[in-house]
Formats: sequence, C-alpha cells, structure tokens
Amino acid sequence: MNFDLGPDQRDAAGGARDFYRGSASPAAARAALEGGPVEPGHEALAGIGYLGITVPESAGGAGGSLLDLAVVAEQGGAVLAGPSLVTAARAAVLLAEHPDLAAQLADGSAAFAVLDGPVTGSAPSIDAAGATLFLGLDDGALVVGEGEATPGRPLDATRGLAGVRLTSRRVLAEDAGALWARARQVAAVVLAAEDLGAADAAVQLAVDYAKEREAFGRRIGSYQAVKHMLVDAWVGVDQLRSLVWWAAWAADAAPDELPLAASAAKAHAAEVLERAAETCVQVHGGIGYTWEHDAHLYWRRAKVDRLLLGDAAEHLDAVARLAVAGALG
Amino acid sequence: MDFDDTPEEADFRAGVRKTLEEHAGELLHAGAGEDVVDARTHEAEMRRTQRVLHEAGLIGITWPREYGGQGGTLVQQAIVQQELARAGVPPLVNHIGLGMCGPTVIAHGSDEQRSRYLPRLLRADDVWCQLFSEPASGSDLAALRTTAVRDGDDWVVNGQKVWTTLAHVADFGILLTRTDPEKPKHAGLTMFVVDVHAPGVTVRPLRQMVGSAGFNEVFFDDVRIPDAERLGEPGEGWRVALTTLMNERVAIGGAGSDLGLPVETLAAHARERLPRLDPERQVLARQAVGRAVVAALATRYTGYRRFTVLSQGGLPGPEASAGKLAGTAAAKLVADAGVRLLGDDAVYAATADGDDTWQRTQGYVPGLAIAGGTDQVLRNILGERVLGLPPEPRLDKDPGGRR
Ligand SMILES: Cc1cc2nc3c(=O)[nH]c(=O)nc-3n(C[C@H](O)[C@H](O)[C@H](O)COP(=O)(O)OP(=O)(O)OC[C@H]3O[C@@H](n4cnc5c(N)ncnc54)[C@H](O)[C@@H]3O)c2cc1C
Repeated sequence: MNFDLGPDQRDAAGGARDFYRGSASPAAARAALEGGPVEPGHEALAGIGYLGITVPESAGGAGGSLLDLAVVAEQGGAVLAGPSLVTAARAAVLLAEHPDLAAQLADGSAAFAVLDGPVTGSAPSIDAAGATLFLGLDDGALVVGEGEATPGRPLDATRGLAGVRLTSRRVLAEDAGALWARARQVAAVVLAAEDLGAADAAVQLAVDYAKEREAFGRRIGSYQAVKHMLVDAWVGVDQLRSLVWWAAWAADAAPDELPLAASAAKAHAAEVLERAAETCVQVHGGIGYTWEHDAHLYWRRAKVDRLLLGDAAEHLDAVARLAVAGALG
Repeated sequence: MDFDDTPEEADFRAGVRKTLEEHAGELLHAGAGEDVVDARTHEAEMRRTQRVLHEAGLIGITWPREYGGQGGTLVQQAIVQQELARAGVPPLVNHIGLGMCGPTVIAHGSDEQRSRYLPRLLRADDVWCQLFSEPASGSDLAALRTTAVRDGDDWVVNGQKVWTTLAHVADFGILLTRTDPEKPKHAGLTMFVVDVHAPGVTVRPLRQMVGSAGFNEVFFDDVRIPDAERLGEPGEGWRVALTTLMNERVAIGGAGSDLGLPVETLAAHARERLPRLDPERQVLARQAVGRAVVAALATRYTGYRRFTVLSQGGLPGPEASAGKLAGTAAAKLVADAGVRLLGDDAVYAATADGDDTWQRTQGYVPGLAIAGGTDQVLRNILGERVLGLPPEPRLDKDPGGRR
C-alpha cells in the first residue's frame, strides 16, 4: 500500500500553490462581491493549462488523472480562486467522445459551464455566469448549446452561479445518463478538493491568530474551549484529505469505488468546510465579523459549496444506499 | 498511489490466510459481530488461541527473533491483524502485553528480562497487564502515589492501582511507581515488572458500566520486587512510560482498523433491518448509516496514510492521537446507527431473540473515549504538539505531584 502523493503530484501541487497565490486571493474574492473580476479568471487558467489537466493529450490537454487535477484544485480552493476546476473536470468527462469540443475546453476558446437541472431553466450552476457554451442533460441526452444566464445576487461571487435557459441545443449523445452521473461524481470530488484547500486555509488562519491574540493575560490558543475547537476543525480537514485523495484516485484506478468515495468526500467536505469557516470567524471574535477580514470569504464559500452538486443529506443517503447494496465489499 | 499489496506482501498474506484456515478448528472465534470476549469465562481458550497462533508464526511479528518474535515488518504485522479480523478471531488475550508491555520490555528491559519474559508472553504462558492509573491519577498519570522504596536488593511497593484491564487473569504487569517524592513529579518515577501473584498483591475485579468485569483494582501491600525487575534507571520511569503510551496510541486506532464494530458489519445489519422499518424511519436511518460510514471511511483512509508513513520507515508522531480521537467518534456513530436500526428492540439490552451485538457495542463506546487517553487529553496533545498552540498555565510542578 502506498497512500500518498507521488513526487510529480507534489511538484504539481507546489507549482499550483505558487500560481494561485500569485493570481488570486481572499481579497480578490471580496472585491468580486463588489463587482470586481473573479481571479485568476478563465483566461489565466486556460493559459497555465489547468482547464485541460484531464483532457486527453490528443485533444490538446495534459492527459492527467483526476488526482493530478485534485491536488491543483486544492490549491485554488485555498485562495478562493475562480472559475472552479469542477467545471473543467466535469466537462472533460462529458466531452470524452468529442475531441473538438474538448480541445476548446482545454485551450479556453470556449468557456464551458455544466447545467444542473432542466436545460429550459437550470438550477444555479457553477461558473454559468461567464460561460459561452453550456452542457446539459435533456431528456436523457447530452446536449451542448448557447444560453441565457440569469445570476442571482451572489453570496460567494467566485462561484459564478447562474440559472440558465438554453437558446440553442445540439445533441452530443443519446442515453447519456450513466456518463452524466459519472461526470457529476467527478465534479463532486473536485468540489471536495477545493473545499479541502479552503478549509485548511481557514483553520490555519485561525490557528495563527490563536497563537498571537491575548485575553485575560494569556494567548487565547491556550484556552481549551478555543484549542479543542481548532483541533476538531483540523482533524476534519486531515480526514477530508484522505477521502479526497481516495475518491480522486478511484476515478481512474478503481471506477467501481467512485460513487461511494465521491459521495463520502462531498458529504464530508460540506461539513468540514462549514465547521472550519465558522471556527475561523468565532476564534477571531469581532474582527472576524468585519467585511475587511478574510474569515467571511471562507464562510461564504462554505455556505454556498455545501449546497452545490447535492447537499450532505443527499450524499449521506447515497453512501448508505451504496453500503447497503454491498459497495464496502 | 495504490492500495494493493506488493508481490511479497501478497505472498505473505496468502500464507497467513492459509495458516489461519489450517488452524481454524483450534482457534476461538467471536460470535457474529462480537468484539470482545470475556477473559474471565474464556481464559483457557483465549490462551490456547494465542499459543496456537504463536506456534504458527503469527504472533510477535515485529519482535526480535531471539525472543521468539518473527523479526518482521510493521506492514506484515498489519496484514496479520487484518487477516485475524477477517477470520473472526477476537482480540488476543495478551493484547495489552503485545501492544504495550512487551514493547516497553524490549526497549528498556535487560537481556535477562527479555529472555525470561518475552517468549512466555508471546505464547500466552503469561498474560500481562498495565499498572499505571490510580484513583487520583489517570490523565495526570505523573501525579501517581504508589511508592517503591529501596531495601537491600529489593524495592518495597505500597499503594493502589485501578482500572487495570486483565489484572484478574494476568501473571505479570508493568508497574509505574514513585521512588523519589522530593523530585518534581515527572522526575521521581521508576518502572518495574511485577509478578501479579507475588505476596501482598491483591486483585479485585470491578464491574464495568455494561455489567461485566473487564478491569480491576490492584492493591500493593509491602510487595517486594527485586531490583533486577526494574525497567530503565531509577527516576527514568516517565521516559519508559512514554514508550508504553506511544505504543498504546498506535495500537489503538493507529493504522486504519475500525475501533468498535467494523463498518461492514453495520452495512450487513442495515441490509437486513432497514426494510423492516417504516418508510419515513428508513429515510432517517439511512442518514445515520451514511454518516457512520463516512466517519468510519474517513478514519480508515487516514489510517492508511499514517500506515504508509510507517511502512516507509517513518515513526508514529503525535498525529496518531487523531486516529484514536476520530476512531472513537466514528465508533460511536456506527454503534448508534446499528442500535437505531433495531427499531423497538433498541430500548432493550438485547433483541427479542437474545442478540446483544449492537447494544453491547453501544456500551463499549464510552470506555473508548476514556481508556488510553481521554478525548480531551488527546485534543490537548494535538493542539499543542501538532497545531503548536500554547499550553495551559500549570500549577503542578511541585515535588511528588503534590500541589
Ligand atoms: C475501559 C477502560 C480500560 C482501562 N484500562 C487501563 C489499564 O489497563 N491500565 C491503566 O493503567 N489504566 C487503564 N484505564 C484507565 C484510563 O487510562 C484512565 O481512566 C484515563 O486515563 C482517565 O483517567 P481518570 O479515569 O483518572 O480520569 P480523569 O483524569 O480524572 O479525568 C476526568 C475527566 O477530566 C478530564 N480531564 C482531565 N485532565 C484534563 C485536562 N488536562 N484537560 C481537559 N480535560 C481533562 C478528562 O478528559 C475526563 O473527562 C482504563 C480505563 C477504561 C475506561
């Protein structure tokens, strides 16, 4: 057994960390709430090749594994980057038989979004606000088309959420239900990976503050009420990393395990990020409740992500059904 | 990244499996979902089971060959552990000896002690216990008061230990005592091997909250221990005890095995019981099952990460405490989901046909959160040693553990 990242994945994570730290930040996420651009933005992500990590080399991508993508996505999550690599990974699965479109995904010449719910009026879908081409499931068929996006007032502007009505559509594949389900599982894994990065960053922010801030003549991190809250948040993050790695690995290496692993990771991610972000606000006290502080940007991400691609209740139900059906072996 | 055995590991596993099949008839097997066997009622079979396994080469995998061990690796040890669980062999009678006492003797004992004790421990000729906790010192172990006073070639021990698992069937124990009450509390301690059958040792079983007797109080009245039974130097007892405690945290929830009942057992139980519940209750029960499965898998896969570090030659760090903390939380969710699936039987101590698997595991969980470091103590360790948060101010640096 070797349950660890390989040297190439470690290097890729290090590179992604540098790239994202240089091109996105919680400050940018704050500015986006006031109308600023989402950073690093679609063009920069296409430029560095992150939109094509799992697109085959023959279609201009890197031909990498979902785990390769997940370690990069984690770094994006840490600085609340957008657009999300969720869309890149999900579209790459859906476009496996359409290299021309996959090439446009990888090189960024089209900005894709994948629609959840009916294509005549979709549920709020990730990065739909800035997309030029939409993928959807229409009566069991995979379709691509142009559409009209209607964003709501953003709670987390980095997610680019909008409901979409398709204005044109072309069928890419009939009977695409199984493909669609797999793509959604892959998307859930990548969302969990971004949540992992965000949760880790939020806990670190809070731990750093607890080491400095003093009250009643002691640093607040020495109080058990604070210390134990931080430990519980950290343990959650540490465990989420294991589920994310397992699920991302399974997508390529053990597809039978993907449904269980993806739902486990997504359910856990929703709760871990929420706890990490809430702990981060709480540990900071009054300053943590200000617009200027970064804590609320992680909190916003948590409150939104937990409901995207199925909430914890939906995924816990899926985990239970799969376990009962024998998925644990 | 992979979860497969290497070819050597696969060979090793196949060998272990074959050995276990060959000896199946001679081994004690746990009933469906049984996680603990009462050493009082099954002592002879439990000792025999360990002896048979030892003769088959499956005990003391990582221990030195010269003392009856196999000179093997941690990975092989974990494989044996997994295969024993798979074959339904309950925890070994000497699990404390194998997990905690033996490694302490290996690390700190004399050659003479190692040759005398370890082979017998491995064969379960002797059962061992860990005599650390006292009425006034559990979490704050270094505050202990049992004294050992030098008298010629012997030490004379007086005091009381408590919550001592297995003392009622044990032959030997590792005993932590205070030998210098004038020193600050961590500095005045010394560790010994004690013969539990020696004159002046009295063992009184204590009834645990679930009704059975798993632990004991142990009294020492002028018990003489030869100086040759010391483990480590006088005053070095704390350092010796840390060896034991580190091994304990790895033994409990270190490398990816479930504390409490395995989550596969819950899945099988849910398969049978879910359809018997009202449809609305099924929805709620599936939430509980899903939550338990996620918690158990998260703990298991985190254990695999730690295990990978060990198998590459790394040492267990303070993160091992997270495995026990999270494993305990997962065990509670698993037990709770299992009990809820029982429907009306959940309010009784057993089902109508007498099966108490889930009720028993429910009763076992509160002990998990206390034994081997309470949840709170583990959070302190993680907060201070992993996250680097400042310690609490302390008021206990006076000699002899007195305030
Ligand atoms: C099933 C079982 C088996 C056991 N087997 C053995 C054995 O074989 N050998 C042996 O030596 N011992 C054994 N023990 C004892 C066990 O190690 C102790 O019970 C444990 O360390 C707690 O000590 P205590 O009981 O004195 O509780 P205390 O230390 O008095 O703790 C009481 C409460 O205070 C909390 N607390 C204490 N200190 C702190 C702190 N610094 N910060 C925050 N909270 C704190 C604890 O978390 C707990 O909730 C066993 C216990 C159980 C339940």
